Amino acid sequence: MTSPRDELLSLATPYALDAVDDAERAEIDRRVRAADAETSAAFAGEVRQVREAMALVAGTTAAEPPAQLRDRVLAAVSAEQTGQVRQLRAPRRRWTTAAVAAAAAVVIGVGTFGIGYWLRPAPTVTTAEQIFAAPDVRTVSGQIPTGGTATVVFSRERNAGVLVMNNVEPPATGTVYQMWLIDTEGPHSAGVMDAGAIAPSTTAVLPDLGSSTTLAFTVEPGAGSQRPTTTPFASLPLS
Amino acid sequence: MLPAVTAPAPARLRSVTADLDALLRRVAQRDVDAFAEFYDQTRARVYGLVTRVLRDPGYSEETTQDIYLQVWRNASDYNPSAGTPLSWLMTVAHRRAVDRVRSEQAATDRESRYGAATVELPVDQVAEGVLEREEYRQVATCLGTLTDRQRECIQLAYYEGLTYVQVSDRLSANLATVKSRMRDAIRGLRNCLDAA
Repeated sequence: MTSPRDELLSLATPYALDAVDDAERAEIDRRVRAADAETSAAFAGEVRQVREAMALVAGTTAAEPPAQLRDRVLAAVSAEQTGQVRQLRAPRRRWTTAAVAAAAAVVIGVGTFGIGYWLRPAPTVTTAEQIFAAPDVRTVSGQIPTGGTATVVFSRERNAGVLVMNNVEPPATGTVYQMWLIDTEGPHSAGVMDAGAIAPSTTAVLPDLGSSTTLAFTVEPGAGSQRPTTTPFASLPLS
Repeated sequence: MLPAVTAPAPARLRSVTADLDALLRRVAQRDVDAFAEFYDQTRARVYGLVTRVLRDPGYSEETTQDIYLQVWRNASDYNPSAGTPLSWLMTVAHRRAVDRVRSEQAATDRESRYGAATVELPVDQVAEGVLEREEYRQVATCLGTLTDRQRECIQLAYYEGLTYVQVSDRLSANLATVKSRMRDAIRGLRNCLDAA
């Protein structure tokens, strides 16, 4: 018969390899906390040994990520750092036509529309921190066809996101960029950016994601519209 | 499967991570430049592992990004007495990748979504200068000392995201056997690395 101590220690390697499900991980954590000091130290020691070994093994599976990933990562981090993103060197790339067409297809077939939020010039650190601290924080990113990058760092749990736009051209005189959160009911305005709001790096809070699945960008006349009047020039899937 | 290279090699392990500790401390102080340097020194290992697990470039990029955001948020959690910075990072990375692959699998049948998309990363994708060649050879050699059954367990659990219970089902082996194979695999690996 295996002792409870040995049984627990036999789980150290699967635990350290993430080869347990969430429920079992929580149960193991509980048992390790409840165990005597010697047992929990032995468990921790074995976990550490497994992780050190696998960190070395990761050297054999190394692969270069795409270069633009670096821009996105640094943009998102900078957004949290200051609420005002420093300018990053971002190569200009073209959004694929297919992506734009897909965005347009999503926007058509409208239902009801909401009155949007005016964007704040920069997120408060608190809001950004809440999003970044969320256990379900996610990031999506894409290139704007006219140049620049848009990145959204968001959390469903916090029901909010931070939009970071890098090296995006300002909208033409007399127009604004308007953001739309699209759910099954259609697009809801998530705010506008005029030429004055577009810095080399611009951040803004998306305070209410609701059940939206897409963030789309359109050019709108004047100070913005209650519904999109032009085809989105870019969109990001919020999934 | 894990690479099973048998070339002998001198040991020079852990050198790549020598200054990660200092960088991580600066990252904890919200130093963006240190973070960028940390990213550059570790990105290939992280992305490579994530790609191995997720086997989809889009998911892998998103997950890698999420991992580094987590690093930025939690750098102050790193405790040098509990392990090396690289081990801390790869633990964060692996957990995140496994969480993602499991959530994708929960939504989609693995065979249809992942079965055809399997990508075996050839080792020559490793970026020049990213890794110490000797270290690579050393680790690969030690992986080659594992038995096929041990490697199979590590492959299924670590790279395919299966729990040890699922590995046991997949291999029709009992749970105790699977747990010991995993444990023996790691011990064999460590003994080999330590002997180098």
